[in-house]
Amino acid sequence: MKKLISNTLLFILFASLLYIPFLFAWGRYAPSWFKPNINYRIGSYGHMYSRLSEIKNYKDIDILFLGSSHTYRSFDTRIFLDSGYKTFNLGSSAQTPVQTKVLLSRYLESLNPKLVIYEVYPATFNMDGVESSLDIIANDINDSHSLEMALKINNIKTYNTLIYGFIRDLLGLNSSFSEPTIKGNDKYISGGYVEKELGFYKPTAFVKKKISLRDYQLESFSEVVQLIKNKNIELMLVYAPITKVNYDSYSNTTYFDSIMKRYSNYYNFNEIIALNDTQHFDDAHHLNQNGVNIFNKKLIELLNEDKARTHNRVDKK
Amino acid sequence: MLFNSLNFAIFLPIVFILYWFATKGNLRLQNILLLVSSYFFYACWDWRFMFLLIFSTLLDYYTGIKIHEAANQRKKLFWLWLSIGINLGFLGVFKYYNFFAASFADGLSLLGFKANLGSLEIILPVGISFYTFHGLSYVIDIYKSRIKPERNFVYYSVFVSFFPLLVAGPIERAQHLLPQILKKREFDYTKAVDGLRQILWGLFKKIVIADNSAEFANTIFNNSSEYPGSTLVLGALFFTFQIYCDFSGYSDIALGTARLFGIDLLRNFAFPYFSRDIAEFWRRWHISLSSWFKDYLYIPLGGSKGGMWMKIRNTFIIFIVSGFWHGANWTFIFWGALNAIYFLPLLLTNNNRNNLEIVAKGKLLPSVKELLHMLLTFALVVFAWIFFRAENIGHAFSYISEILSASFFTMPKFNEMGTALSTLILIVIFVLIEWQGREGQYAISHIGQSWNRPLRWTFYALIIFAIGMFTHSVESPFIYFQF
Repeated sequence: MKKLISNTLLFILFASLLYIPFLFAWGRYAPSWFKPNINYRIGSYGHMYSRLSEIKNYKDIDILFLGSSHTYRSFDTRIFLDSGYKTFNLGSSAQTPVQTKVLLSRYLESLNPKLVIYEVYPATFNMDGVESSLDIIANDINDSHSLEMALKINNIKTYNTLIYGFIRDLLGLNSSFSEPTIKGNDKYISGGYVEKELGFYKPTAFVKKKISLRDYQLESFSEVVQLIKNKNIELMLVYAPITKVNYDSYSNTTYFDSIMKRYSNYYNFNEIIALNDTQHFDDAHHLNQNGVNIFNKKLIELLNEDKARTHNRVDKK
Repeated sequence: MLFNSLNFAIFLPIVFILYWFATKGNLRLQNILLLVSSYFFYACWDWRFMFLLIFSTLLDYYTGIKIHEAANQRKKLFWLWLSIGINLGFLGVFKYYNFFAASFADGLSLLGFKANLGSLEIILPVGISFYTFHGLSYVIDIYKSRIKPERNFVYYSVFVSFFPLLVAGPIERAQHLLPQILKKREFDYTKAVDGLRQILWGLFKKIVIADNSAEFANTIFNNSSEYPGSTLVLGALFFTFQIYCDFSGYSDIALGTARLFGIDLLRNFAFPYFSRDIAEFWRRWHISLSSWFKDYLYIPLGGSKGGMWMKIRNTFIIFIVSGFWHGANWTFIFWGALNAIYFLPLLLTNNNRNNLEIVAKGKLLPSVKELLHMLLTFALVVFAWIFFRAENIGHAFSYISEILSASFFTMPKFNEMGTALSTLILIVIFVLIEWQGREGQYAISHIGQSWNRPLRWTFYALIIFAIGMFTHSVESPFIYFQF
């Protein structure tokens, strides 16, 4: 019996040690279609590599934007700069609260923002977070936060890609990589925004659906909110505009709104500004530049009003 | 609790350690532990059906004793039929009521009558077909005086509920399993290692081959009208490997797990896709069910001893009932009947026991004749699986008619050709390993036994690596849980 247990433990150690070089060789040399569970995409969609390369140059900013692709496609850092706000956009594709927490743990301290605008899109609360975790593993440094993220997501693809990423980091295989500013229709703008060539959405019918939230995403969301509040940083939660056909297909938006309001100041811009599904959107849930201009202008208006109110309060005191 | 889940990976070592360490070899304690663990395992599926399992166990335990003690044949028969009636009654209600109600209403409507018997919102209790057949074989064997009833209720309950076989078999016989439960079990290192190896191979089959094949089989079967005949053939092939690796993978894990506790379960699969005729296929596929039907249905009906018509009748009965056992759908009945049609020519010409040994025993490759026979048998099996997998008979026929159309000669199309190709490559590698290990109890039971330890362990580590590389993101339950 003891022999079985000791041999089993020895074999587990042996297999684990072999797994790492096998995985590295497989990840490096097998064709992509033959490695479904290693998905290392450096410089992938959304310019995350450029964003994280640039982030080190930013300190003591006014506003930090967080959230999914809606963030890096909806908060134009140039518009905010024109209005006197120094901002950084830390959005990433399909970013769920689990990844937001990782990014904040790494960069909140150095960015030291006065305000965090966290874009909350209901669908991201129901995602498993795998896609976004792969994006961050491939385009950022890997540390203990990455491991924590992988454990929370608990998906073999994330584990494998993380191990592969760790080895690549160790061997410095990404040191010569550089990401072009323009990729397809996307152009990276300094500060993390991605501008897309102007396109117009053709609305299609949507099936009615319900918003549902995964427990572990909501738990991470609470942790993110707490992390920000612990540093006495102001937090604004924003539901960025999506097309009306898409927005109306959710049957329980009020439920989502009520949850968000519990956490902080919350603005659902689908109820604040009226946009046209064709004129202001690139697809069913991403604004085009026309829509971004209107949305950002309104948001800045709100921020300025808020700022004025705060000043008045201080003056009265 | 799925065999391929983290929960089971935690549950199994705990039970294993308690079983060998905490009980200190005390048989009574070991059996109590097995029973408690088995009920816990079952309750993880749905605790409500525990009561049904316990009732079924009590019923067969009690009727078994009553049959044995009955003073005359009439009383024996009474208790036997009481057990059979209640067991099949439960099975009928939970598994077949809606099917019979709908079929009866359809039949009446053909005669011009309108009938609505209503359908019941019933969840099929997992494993009911398996533990019912366990119990039935037990009472029938007592009635036939093949065994004596077990008076210790705990021991008998372990026979019915032993967790490795509880939800999807193998369908055990009291004559085979009960003596092992009653006997003191000593730890056997070789047996335990062999069990772990079999579990590993079962996991590979299920996770790497079955789950990846399932993705394409499901896509193609669920949208068959959108695909050309060539793709539909591939869909049938994917399903062929899905069902085999899913079920035989489950059986491997069940057998391997049982061996860790010093118990040998009945073998359920013996490389069926290397069969040279349908009779051989049925000796190698779901062996515990086939032999159950042979012993408790076919032989009591007269078997193949009577005249030609009796042979034909009995063959059709056993195959149709076997098909129907899988589920309440005409597709399963048709699948069973089709296999009877395949089987009959062999039976009537006395060629049904030509191929008893594994093909090309002791050789590297089969002869051309053997290869052709294997390919023909495999093609017949794949064709029959179309009925098994189809939503209904109409779907099966439209699927087949598209295969038989000119679109068969076009290039297959998929949305994700690369992933399909990787699954096909994995299937080829799997078939080669199965071929290499076909003379063993399972494919890797002998592979690497003569190698030195580092090399052998590297081989097993490669299997684990393949599991890590090709685990499908969507975990699918074992197909046979629904039966």
